[in-house]
Amino acid sequence: MSKRLFVGIDAGSSATKCVVLDEAARLVGKHVTASGFDFVEAAEAVLSRSLFEAESVREDVARCVSTGYGRSRVSLADRQVTEITCHARGAREWYPQVRSVIDIGGQDTKVIHVHTDGRMADYRMNSKCAAGTGTFLESIALKLGVPLREIDDLAMKCATDTVINSYCTVFAGTEVIERVKAGQPREDICMGLFRSIAARVLEMLASRSGPIAVTGGVVAHCRAMVRAIEETLETKVLLPPLPQHAGAYGAALLALGDCMGSTWGGQVAGRSGA
Amino acid sequence: MQTKTATVQRVEIKTQARLRTLLKDYYTGLDSAAADPARKVAWCTSVGPCEILTAFGFDLFFPENHGAMLGAKKLGHQYVPRAVGVGYSAETCSYMNSDIGAALAGYSPLREAYGIAGPPKPDLLVYSTNQCREVQDWWYFFGRRHDVPVMGLNPPVHLGEVTEDHMAFVRGRLVALIQQIETRFDLRLNWDRLREVVALSSRASSLWREVLETARSRPAPLTFFDGLIHMAPVIVMRGSQHAVDYYQELLSEMQERVRKGVAAVPGERFRVYWEGMPIWPKLRELSEKFLGLRTLIAASTYCNSWAFDEYDGGDPLTWMARTATAIFINRDEYTKEAFLLDMFRSFGVDGAIFHNARTCPNNTNSRFGMAQRLREGHDLPVLVIDGDLCDVRFFSTAQTMTNIEAFIEQLEERKR
Repeated sequence: MSKRLFVGIDAGSSATKCVVLDEAARLVGKHVTASGFDFVEAAEAVLSRSLFEAESVREDVARCVSTGYGRSRVSLADRQVTEITCHARGAREWYPQVRSVIDIGGQDTKVIHVHTDGRMADYRMNSKCAAGTGTFLESIALKLGVPLREIDDLAMKCATDTVINSYCTVFAGTEVIERVKAGQPREDICMGLFRSIAARVLEMLASRSGPIAVTGGVVAHCRAMVRAIEETLETKVLLPPLPQHAGAYGAALLALGDCMGSTWGGQVAGRSGA
Repeated sequence: MQTKTATVQRVEIKTQARLRTLLKDYYTGLDSAAADPARKVAWCTSVGPCEILTAFGFDLFFPENHGAMLGAKKLGHQYVPRAVGVGYSAETCSYMNSDIGAALAGYSPLREAYGIAGPPKPDLLVYSTNQCREVQDWWYFFGRRHDVPVMGLNPPVHLGEVTEDHMAFVRGRLVALIQQIETRFDLRLNWDRLREVVALSSRASSLWREVLETARSRPAPLTFFDGLIHMAPVIVMRGSQHAVDYYQELLSEMQERVRKGVAAVPGERFRVYWEGMPIWPKLRELSEKFLGLRTLIAASTYCNSWAFDEYDGGDPLTWMARTATAIFINRDEYTKEAFLLDMFRSFGVDGAIFHNARTCPNNTNSRFGMAQRLREGHDLPVLVIDGDLCDVRFFSTAQTMTNIEAFIEQLEERKR
């Protein structure tokens, strides 16, 4: 007897993620790869690896929802949904009590507010500028010739309240070099970068009325990002078990919900908690 | 959210064929006027005192229309750097910068569109700062370039209540403008002709308003994007019988579409308001995006900018003073907010999109908290998108399209 699987593919600007759920909403496969030049190829790659992990084949896929900037390039998708809705959906599945979701992705940052019944109430995206995004960090890391992982390690050792003030990625790079030349400790400069992003998040978080979850690749890989957000917002935030896969997870849940007759409708029975 | 088969077919607006002829006649007429020593050409701002100029016998050209054409042809950003090169900031009006830059480069979209060399050489430039301060220096640039006089009207700005004092002041400035023109060109204003032109202007404007108001019907017979095409006559020829005839025909067609239930957006699911400038280089993509989402842009501040009050047949300068002073762009935040709320209600919109136009602060209303006040105070979903009227370098297609799709998903969830 063939399986019925529900797939979410988040074709993001930096990374493409896939999540595969079974009919009981158990997460049975997942994968992430760099999006690179070809969204189609990246989507195929994460799907193949996720289905392999799920010990399944493409014919087992009952429905697929794509999300992310490359969502229109996912040929398998039955429908496309924005990453704003998908991240909110994924985060709420992990944390039903959540009222705000902060997603820091490669190309942009979003703050999504949800009603107590789970419907999206409102959202904000950063402006066109890359400041406050994963690209911002990658750009500075490249300028410093230091891997992002090392920037995170250094930042976690920071003992001061240093902030990088420039919003513009180019100007921030210049400011970083000026501080390096001035002999400021690397730990402080690196933490300053994360605080700069957190300051942009604060601008978008107009109101707070409940628990906040953080998702996206940056919080998945950088503990300093979570720390900077908690310092800036002066509150603890919820970090899901698979923050980078939150959008793909939400998309897979929507695919499952489509077949159950509802895209929201609260928690899915028998969820695994991923 | 989108499905695999989101293709929607529209029924075209028939009157559009007549518009092409009308505009070709208008531009070739201007070209002839510029070449005829017996005729005079004036350049005027779009909500400037054009009726006085028409009554004096000037043929009128509107540079903002030229700027919009450069934007719509996706050429604005190519010419802005030329204006920046001669000292105009890249952060100021991209209509102005692309128009100045195109003039410096010797290019005009009028060549391909209407077969004329470019903007007609002016004998006079007249502006009104009721819309923004930038037009003044834009006009000065061309005044120097063509060595012709520049005359201006500077109404009081950011008004709440428009008082008798405001009106008297502006009326006085209009009288002064008439005197300047009479002196400079040795002309005498024919006041009967001015009354006639004002009556035609008012009639065209009223008909235009009626056209826009047909979008209150469900389904609506036209969208904001249709409005942007059909608004040309109310700007460039509003003191003429041509404009009146055109809008009578367009109104008849819209009323017919309402009777027959012809939808501008087939399967109309949501109705949205557009506040701020159009994004001229991206109109097609945006129009198709909203069509695919089965969402109607039902009304806009921009298209209503030329929907003036009725002329009662009295003093034409009083009507012109009121028109110059009471327009939306010239008002304070309280008045603008009240206007928008009235529009939202009368067009029954589900949400509003504010365009934060990088180079047009005067026609951007999301910079002082208005969008948030409307969102929180009136439980109205509001989206602010970043862009520009002409310069695509300030616009991110991927980010904006995601923003718009997410906004529609938000509206869908509200209806659940």
